[in-house]
Amino acid sequence: MIDITAKKTQAAQTLELICQALELSQTQYDTAKSRYEAVGKWLSGSDDAALRASEIYPQGSVSLGTTVKPVEADEFDVDLVCRIPFVAPHTPPSALKQLIGNRLRASGHYKDILEEKPRCWRINYANEFHLDITPSVPNAACTNGGELVPDKKLKEWKPSNPRGYRSWFEERALIVPRVQSCELAFMEARAAVEEFPKQTRRKGLLRRAVQIIKRHRDMWACTREASIAPISIILTTLAAKSYVHCAGNFSYETEYDLLVDIVRYMPHFIEKNMVNGREHYFIWNDTTAGENFAEKWNQDERLVRAFYAWQLQATSDLENLPSLSGLDQVRSALSSSFGDSVVSKVMVELTASISAARTTGALGIVPRSGLSATGAGRIVVPSNTFFGS
Amino acid sequence: MRPSGPKKLTVAQQYLWLRSTEVCEGSGRLYPCRLEWEFWAQPTPLSRSYRLRVLYGDRGTPKVYVVEPNLVELSGGRTLPHVYQQQPTRLCLYFPDSGEWTPHLVIAKTIVPWAYLWLYYFEDWLATDDWKGGGLHPGAENE
Repeated sequence: MIDITAKKTQAAQTLELICQALELSQTQYDTAKSRYEAVGKWLSGSDDAALRASEIYPQGSVSLGTTVKPVEADEFDVDLVCRIPFVAPHTPPSALKQLIGNRLRASGHYKDILEEKPRCWRINYANEFHLDITPSVPNAACTNGGELVPDKKLKEWKPSNPRGYRSWFEERALIVPRVQSCELAFMEARAAVEEFPKQTRRKGLLRRAVQIIKRHRDMWACTREASIAPISIILTTLAAKSYVHCAGNFSYETEYDLLVDIVRYMPHFIEKNMVNGREHYFIWNDTTAGENFAEKWNQDERLVRAFYAWQLQATSDLENLPSLSGLDQVRSALSSSFGDSVVSKVMVELTASISAARTTGALGIVPRSGLSATGAGRIVVPSNTFFGS
Repeated sequence: MRPSGPKKLTVAQQYLWLRSTEVCEGSGRLYPCRLEWEFWAQPTPLSRSYRLRVLYGDRGTPKVYVVEPNLVELSGGRTLPHVYQQQPTRLCLYFPDSGEWTPHLVIAKTIVPWAYLWLYYFEDWLATDDWKGGGLHPGAENE
């Protein structure tokens, strides 16, 4: 009989493949990078002194390594900050946004693929990705190198710290959890990291957890009012805090157990305080003073309920997965959690890899684990032809 | 001297192999000219566990039945591919008379792994309605 550890390992391996299929590929990333660098060059080639000193860099999932393809579109969002280091005091966000827009419109290359959004400029590369460029200015009040970005209405500046957040997240992602099983899907085995530091392809558990969580949220939102679904920065922040807590305090049999615990503990990192007799929610950006990612929750109770409903669903879907039996059952559960097309793609590849190993004679059966092309001690599957009607 | 090619395995030898091979750990009975063997097979950890029964006798071909779960019920009314018989389900694991299986070969190292493989493709077929394990239908060209 196969034990639950092997089931969890296979579940983790499958989720790893799903993440790989959903993220920006290295080629796409390289293309996006060279395109935003070109935009940056164009902006800093301006006659305007402020733009000449500007600097462009990614924020959000591209900078964190947690990209997930949108459910309905083929285009990835590549969020960029255009940081303008010197501005006259009290310059409104709209003025800087206009400055960037005028410069982009002056380019024969960008003017036709440029689209104005409420807070940013979007440059569309059809079927690949779009670059969203938001202006930012230094935040003199932040001792942590923070910035100010426009609020939703483009009326005022609000604190943010994309670069600080990135370091904060990376620091947490580096924490190595205690996992007993040697069968790792998300993480690099330690020895391998030391021997081949440059060949590391694995993202590590926190980044994968964030991708899994965000994709689950995207699918969850498909059948609900999408505007109330928990936003990515909240999910990423809570996942990172939960990861630190779980990895620091517990030891796990498998990576999968840790993944489930990350999702399970997310709500513990939401601060609640009574303000004017009402419960208010706070999910602080630890890298800059005054940015509460959950600010909107305090104006719209539906957002609070949506987060808790999603979290409950995600925990139960992930908990349930290793207890399923039948790859057809697993497939249908994964499809409803992560989307039919990506799950089909991964399962087709899995079967193709089994068939390929069968053709080369590498396929075997490992006791208590089943079909494997590499497992030690496997009984080779000889060549055969299934017959009969 | 008489030429001594590979010898056919006796039913008792096949039984001993079944009994000592880990991937078909189970129980059975050995009769003078035939054997019965039952074991649980799970193609991957997240696959179902299937109880298989192997019947084999002198001069016969090994017969493999799926005892549980009921594959016909699982298939929801679709006709199972690559079986000799729908119910009780008897699997078609090799092309007869092709030499893929002969009584010189160990059931535990041929028929048993093929049954695992069949079950893997079966679950794929359940989900997709497409048999990806290849094979031949009687009287038909290669799939």
